[in-house]
Amino acid sequence: MMQTNSMQATAKERPVSTLEHTSARSEGRKDQWSQMLVKVGKSQDRQAYHALFQHFAPQLKYYAMANGLASHAEELVQEVFVSIWRRSCLYDWRKAAASTWIFTIARNQRIDMLRKMQRTSAEMPIETEDLWQIPGDNENEPVTSLHRLMSERRIRESLKHLPEEQTTVIAKVYMENKSHQMVANELNIPLGTVKSRVRLALNKLKVILQDQNP
Amino acid sequence: MTQHHPDSFSLMEYSAGNLTEPHALCIRLHLDQCSHCRSRVDMLDSLGAIMMEQQPQVSVADTTFDSILARIDEGPGPDQVEAQQRRSVGPLQKLLGNDLDSLPWKRQLGDVSVLDISDRFPGQTEQVVLQKLTAGGKAPTHTHRGEETTIVLQGAFADNKGIFNQWDFVVLNQQDEHKPIALEGDDCITLSVLSAPVKLTGTFTRLLNPFIR
Repeated sequence: MMQTNSMQATAKERPVSTLEHTSARSEGRKDQWSQMLVKVGKSQDRQAYHALFQHFAPQLKYYAMANGLASHAEELVQEVFVSIWRRSCLYDWRKAAASTWIFTIARNQRIDMLRKMQRTSAEMPIETEDLWQIPGDNENEPVTSLHRLMSERRIRESLKHLPEEQTTVIAKVYMENKSHQMVANELNIPLGTVKSRVRLALNKLKVILQDQNP
Repeated sequence: MTQHHPDSFSLMEYSAGNLTEPHALCIRLHLDQCSHCRSRVDMLDSLGAIMMEQQPQVSVADTTFDSILARIDEGPGPDQVEAQQRRSVGPLQKLLGNDLDSLPWKRQLGDVSVLDISDRFPGQTEQVVLQKLTAGGKAPTHTHRGEETTIVLQGAFADNKGIFNQWDFVVLNQQDEHKPIALEGDDCITLSVLSAPVKLTGTFTRLLNPFIR
């Protein structure tokens, strides 16, 4: 069954790759949230904006709460959405899915909020965005929509088949703002074990392209 | 083209937003020049988005969307020009200006100068230092205490592990003993972050950098 599925997938994807530059084809490969985000960016479409809010706001609220911002969760949701509105004209669906783009904005707003709680802006010579990049901000980056879409699909699919101990570790890093060392302490396992779980997971997701010191 | 890259764990923590500011700066400077690692981070960002989507969802207050609409009506609209201007000055320029050579370097042993810039990162416990090794100059053999993350900002140096060019990334720890030599041409300038806050005592201060330890 698995075999058949993957063969079908391969058969479907192959002809598409030769037509990568056909814009009509490309349009068809935008997921619905990316389409809406493009509408917000192009024509300040408030209906699309509201649809994005309904889909992403509950995820963002959980993200804020899991990251220790429980009493500021609504505030973070607001900051993220105001930022989505103001930056939407910079969004390029070929460079990142709406979900990925919004995740990085949420990450940056969380960092920004924590930085501002800890010190005054006068003390911050560099801004959060100088350090943490939003995908697509680099205009010189070649457009790689096909490659990106394939890797997203692959990550989403392979994630379902990862052992729970591997997804747990990754979830703690992404959702609870924990370093690998903190995850090791919390689960009471050696750092090496945490790293090998991450490494196994990334290998299966084919995220590791090349590591200097594997 | 850079040859020495950050490992996947550092890139994942960068993507998750868990790194301290000085560490994030080292990664960012490398990413700005390395398309290979940028594509790795793109994938990790996607992984983060998919993790977020698979978590429980928490409903937001009924009034939240109206508050957001009120804010976007008041504030500036989507403004591409402003966003582009903000990006035109890189983080390194913002921190150090345009001319690394004119910084108030402190000459140390022989060919080595240093500048501690930890105070540019208020609230961080790590030590952040710039180091300069004169073109063609040698640093004495040394080991490292704690973990030290270094990115080459200018020039290049060589040691027993290879040649480290501009924007190469290297993490050294206790096991690493080396004797870096700057290549001919430009002075070699590096930015280093020392993870383990080390107690500094008098004359030992000058021994805390990747060139001399």
